[in-house]
Amino acid sequence: MIDARDLKKAFAKPGASKKSEAVLAVSHVSFTAADGQITGLLGPNGAGKSTTLRMLATLIKPDEGRASIDGFDVRNDVLSVRKQLGYMPHNAGIYPRLTARENVNYFARLCGMTRHDATKRVDELMEQLGMHGFADRRSAGFSQGQRTKVALARALAHRPQTLMLDEPTNGLDVMGTRGLREIIRDLANAGHCVLFSSHIMQEVSALCDHIAIISDGKIAIEDTLEGIKSRTGEEDLEDAFVRAIGESP
Amino acid sequence: MRFFVVMAKEILDNLRDKQTVFYALLFGPILLPVMLGGSIIGSLKQLSVDFDEVTSLSVVNMESAPNLMEFLYSNNIDVEKAPDNPEKAVLRGDVPIVLKVMPDFDEALRAGQPAPLTVYVNEGDKDSTKQGRRVVALLQGYERTINALRLQHRGIDSDVFNSLDISREDVSLDGAGGQMIASLIPFLLIISMVMGGFYLAIDTTAGERERQSLEPLLSLPLNRFELVLGKFGATLCFVALSSILTSISIFFLFKFFPTDIIGGGLNFDGLTITKAFLVASPLIVFISAVLITVSAFTRSSKEAQTYLGILMVIPMAPFFILQFVTIRSELQSMLLPMMSQYQLLERIVLGDVTPPLYIVFSVIGTLASAALLLLVAFKLYSRDRILM
Repeated sequence: MIDARDLKKAFAKPGASKKSEAVLAVSHVSFTAADGQITGLLGPNGAGKSTTLRMLATLIKPDEGRASIDGFDVRNDVLSVRKQLGYMPHNAGIYPRLTARENVNYFARLCGMTRHDATKRVDELMEQLGMHGFADRRSAGFSQGQRTKVALARALAHRPQTLMLDEPTNGLDVMGTRGLREIIRDLANAGHCVLFSSHIMQEVSALCDHIAIISDGKIAIEDTLEGIKSRTGEEDLEDAFVRAIGESP
Repeated sequence: MRFFVVMAKEILDNLRDKQTVFYALLFGPILLPVMLGGSIIGSLKQLSVDFDEVTSLSVVNMESAPNLMEFLYSNNIDVEKAPDNPEKAVLRGDVPIVLKVMPDFDEALRAGQPAPLTVYVNEGDKDSTKQGRRVVALLQGYERTINALRLQHRGIDSDVFNSLDISREDVSLDGAGGQMIASLIPFLLIISMVMGGFYLAIDTTAGERERQSLEPLLSLPLNRFELVLGKFGATLCFVALSSILTSISIFFLFKFFPTDIIGGGLNFDGLTITKAFLVASPLIVFISAVLITVSAFTRSSKEAQTYLGILMVIPMAPFFILQFVTIRSELQSMLLPMMSQYQLLERIVLGDVTPPLYIVFSVIGTLASAALLLLVAFKLYSRDRILM
C-alpha cells in the first residue's frame, strides 16, 4: 500500500549557485496504490515519474509533503520502508561479470538473508520468473528481456509487500512484454501492491486496475480506467489523458 | 556484518576482470620493480668507474712515451695502437677513447716543460665518458709522480706544495647508489598499492553509477555506511595483496643486485623487507580510502580515471622531492601520510636508527587521515546527488 500526499521536490540546476535557480521536478503529487492491485503512474517523459518513485523509495528526500509505504513514513522510517519495498529503477543495471543467480543472490544476502535462505529464495525466483535457461550464465551478454528479469528478481529477493517498477517494459520485445505483464499480474493476484510507471497508454490500460496520470510534476487525475474515461467523457485512454492534462483532444 | 557480503561480491566480481587483476597482481608487483630496478642497476653500472677492470686503450704515438705506457699497463690498461684517424674513430664509436701522445712529448718531458697529451672523448657517449674519466684520473696520478721526481731533482721536498691535507670520508654505510635504491623501495610499495586498488575502486563506485546498478543497491534495507565499508574493504584487500606481492618480489629482485654497486650497508634480507612492509602498511588503509573517496566523487569511470591519474602524482611526489631536497625528518612531518613512510622506509633500508615515536606518529597520522577520508566517502554516499 502506497500513500503519497502533496509530495514536492526541486533540484538545483546543474552549475547554478543560487537556490532560486532550482527546477521544480514534482509539486503536489498525491495518489494511493492499494494492495492486490496494479496501479499505473502514467505520464509523458519528464513529467516527474522517476522523481516520485525515487522519493517513495527513500532515495531522495521530498522537500514538502509526506508519503508512506505500508504505513511506514518515507522520511523517518527509511529502513522499514525499504524492507517493505521492492524497487526496480528505470534501466536498472546489473553486474555483467556475475551470473544471473549471483546477481540476485547478492541482493538477497544484502537484505539480511542467510546463505541458505538466500540460495532457496533465488531458486524460487528463477522458477517463478522462468530464468532457469540463463541462471548460471554471466550476464554480460544478456538480452534486454533477460536483464529485466534479473533486475525484477533482484527487486523481489527480500519478498517485499510493495513493488515499484519504473518503466519496466522499456526495450522489451512483444513476447518479453507479455511475459512481464503476466508476472506482474500474478504478483498483484498474490496480494502485492504493484506501482508501475509508464508513458505507454496501451500498456497501462491493458494492465492497470487503477491509474494516476502525472503531468508537469502534478497528478492530473487519479481513478480506475473506467472512472477516468467517464470523468473526462472520452472513450479512449489516450484522449482522456490529453483532456486530463488540460489540452483539448 | 553485511559489509562482508558487499566485500565478497566486489572481490569476486573484480577477480573476474582482467584489467583489475593485471594491474593488481602483475603490474605493481612484478613489471614495475623489474623495469625500474633493472634500469637503475644499468645506470649505476655506467656511472661507477671500476679501476680494477682490465680495459684496452688506443694510443697514438705510443713509442714516444714508454714509461707512461708502462705506468698504464701496471694500472690494468692494455695499450694498443690507435686507428689512423683518432677523432673520427671516437666519434664513430669504433674505440671509446684515444690517447694521443704529441710528437714533442718526450722532448718537453726531458726539458722539464709541461709535456702535451690529448685525450679524445665523446661526451655524448656514456661509455666513452666513463673511460675518459678513468684515464684522466690515471694520468693525473702519473703527473703527481713526475712532479715529485722533478722537485726531488731540484732538492725540494714535494710536500712544500701540499699545503692542505684533505681527507674525505663517507660515513654512510653505503654509496650514493644505495640512497637511490633505498628510496626506490617506498616508491615501489606505494605505487603497487595505488595500482592494486585503482581499478577496483573505480569499478565499485564510479563504475556502479555508470552501469546504473547503484540506484537499486541504495534502495535496499541496508545502511549506506556498510556499503561504503564493504567497497572500502574490497579495495583494501586488493591493495594489501598487491603490496605483499611487491614486497616478496622486491626481496627476490634485490638478491640480484650486485653488492659492490648498492653498497655493503644496504640490507635487503627478509627481516628488513618485513619491517619495511609493516611500517608502510598503514598506507594500505590510507590509499584505499583515497581511492574510494575520490572515485565516489566522480560520475563515470572515465572521470574517476582522470582524477586518480592526477592524484597518482601525489604518491610519486615525495620520491622526486627527496631526490632533490634533503628533508631532515622531524617528528611533526611524521604525521604526513606517504612523506613519513618514505622517510622511515629509507631509514630502515639504510640501516639507520628509527626512533619508535616516529613510527607511532606515522601510524597515527596516516590512519587518522584515512578515517577522515572514509567519513567524506560516507557523506558523499548519503547525498541525494549520488544518484544524479
